[in-house]
Amino acid sequence: MKKMKKIDFGVIAVMYIICAAAFVSTSKLDADSRIYPHFCTGLLFALTTLYLIQMVVAAKRYGTESGVNEVFANFMPKQFAVCVAACIGYMLLMYAVGFYISTVIFLIALLMYLKVPVLHSAIVVAVIILLVYFAFSKFLGVRLPAGLLFK
Amino acid sequence: MEFAETLQLMGAGFLNALTPLNLLMMIGGTAMGIIIGCLPGLSAAMGVALTLPLTFTMEPETGLIVLGAIYCGAIFGGSISAILIHTPGTPASAATAIEGYQMTLKGQAGRALATACYSSFWGGLLSCISLYFFAPALAQLALKFMSAEKFWLSIFGLTIIAGVSSKSMVKGLISGALGLLISCIGLDPITGAKRFMFGQSYFAEGVNTTCALIGLFSMSQVFILAEKAIVKRARAAKFSDKIWLNKEDRKLIRPTILRSWIIGNIIGILPGAGASIACFMGYNTSKQFSKHKEDFSHGSIEGVAGSEAANNAVTGGSLIPMLTLGIPGESVTAVLMGGLVIQGLAPGPALFTEHAGMTYTFFAGFVLVQFFMLAIGLLGCRGFAQISRLSDAILIPAVTVLCFVGSYAIHKNMMDIVVMLIFGVIGYLMRKMDLNTAAVVLALILGPIGEKGLRNALRSSGGSIGVLFKSPVSWVLIILSVISIFAPILMAKMEKKSQDNANKGDPVEA
Repeated sequence: MKKMKKIDFGVIAVMYIICAAAFVSTSKLDADSRIYPHFCTGLLFALTTLYLIQMVVAAKRYGTESGVNEVFANFMPKQFAVCVAACIGYMLLMYAVGFYISTVIFLIALLMYLKVPVLHSAIVVAVIILLVYFAFSKFLGVRLPAGLLFK
Repeated sequence: MEFAETLQLMGAGFLNALTPLNLLMMIGGTAMGIIIGCLPGLSAAMGVALTLPLTFTMEPETGLIVLGAIYCGAIFGGSISAILIHTPGTPASAATAIEGYQMTLKGQAGRALATACYSSFWGGLLSCISLYFFAPALAQLALKFMSAEKFWLSIFGLTIIAGVSSKSMVKGLISGALGLLISCIGLDPITGAKRFMFGQSYFAEGVNTTCALIGLFSMSQVFILAEKAIVKRARAAKFSDKIWLNKEDRKLIRPTILRSWIIGNIIGILPGAGASIACFMGYNTSKQFSKHKEDFSHGSIEGVAGSEAANNAVTGGSLIPMLTLGIPGESVTAVLMGGLVIQGLAPGPALFTEHAGMTYTFFAGFVLVQFFMLAIGLLGCRGFAQISRLSDAILIPAVTVLCFVGSYAIHKNMMDIVVMLIFGVIGYLMRKMDLNTAAVVLALILGPIGEKGLRNALRSSGGSIGVLFKSPVSWVLIILSVISIFAPILMAKMEKKSQDNANKGDPVEA
């Protein structure tokens, strides 16, 4: 067994919160409907408690460590935040201007940010758009979002 | 089932699999799988998850053939980057990198790639034998399962997958329990009561499994790639020798392939073990039995064959417990099972009776895929080698677009994209905290089966919990569940031992 990682307390806290929320939410249901959700909640609660006991034992035997450095080694906060924001922005943009326009904007913006050479970026955009067009629009016949502005 | 009937189904399966559309899909799926496999940032499970929406409108057999082709192609594809840039494309090729890269340094990259191709082909092809003969037999056993047994089977499936892929067994089990709770989202299947719907009618039918799969496996990988500095991948070694094996080489690796086939097949059938264990075990066995032990760690053709035949032999074997009992042993088969469920098919005996035509067409397709893998591998290795250099800076936006369009395509609903993104974040956090995303996926699939089994059993007994412990089959499943909780400890020791033996003299980037 290794040292106890303090960061794992986060996992335990989240699991207990989920258990509590699930229990409260299903308590109002009739007896038949709540059997299975209560079984799952009880299972999650028991396993989380078992893990908590394991952590306490590990802390007593081998000591503790933060664990943050290991979990977030080489973490690039700015790049990560930009990529996540780009994904959320892409989703909102798709809703507004439709799939193809938002995809081109998203790809160009993110490829530029990630410093991909212009020629490579152009090829990637063309390949992705053509791939989606032929695979989804033509082959599967999926009507991709047209966007609020073009409806 | 009579032997003659089985033979008839096998023949009909081949005839159905040989339609132009199926053949085209095999070629496309295999090529796509090899590309995904040779890219170090992507995994076989992720590739299969991303392709699921494409198979949604296809005939079930065609869809499954595509997914099977991607699975086989990806396992082989990992060897290309392992041999040429000393970085295994998938963990299943970690052992291949040891001897393969040494062969590249000696100017024998073409010979190493041909060995990987040839061994993967035979490993995959021979694994189909067990698929044909063991799967129907095991499906007969599943006929004996009633409600209580189905409940225990779902628990058994979860204990298996929860134990693998995560360092802590308890964390794996927590992941499974979390997945079971998520599977409760939606209307109660019997009373119609609303459960965890957050006021959204969208969740009435529960969480969309495909969106969850794409989020947990593919979108989470995008976040994993996005958090690290973009590094330039090593240029694939240039090679001028032919991608071909002469008669002596083929004769030399034949016994190794046969041994690795048996190893890979058994490991594939055993739930909880996977291709990453098989490759090291195949490699070690080839070393033990070799007449040229001095070649090992200096570029041994037998070492490459041992590893590659074993990891591809896992593919056919791993489908057996998934198709017959509905218990996938690893993440790729969990995703494949998702593909089956999406097509409205449930794993079990019905696949070999009611849907036997579809199942045997899939099996035949799986056999034919091996031939395409050999041909595409031998002809396209030089091209795939260039693709393996594709930067993460390109993969991040490209995979994101495919995740978005794939999630939307199923029900043409923007909410599916939102759900996929949420599961992407959940998957990312779970992977950072060493929880098991495959267990969540399996729980999403097995949850409703387990719930139905539990509630039907309790109803039939008037609410007495004793019904769950009444039959001998239930007890067998309970005992197996307990064993499978402790099996990963043994598996981890086996893998570590094999890895230590294999890595003597060659540290591999896995």
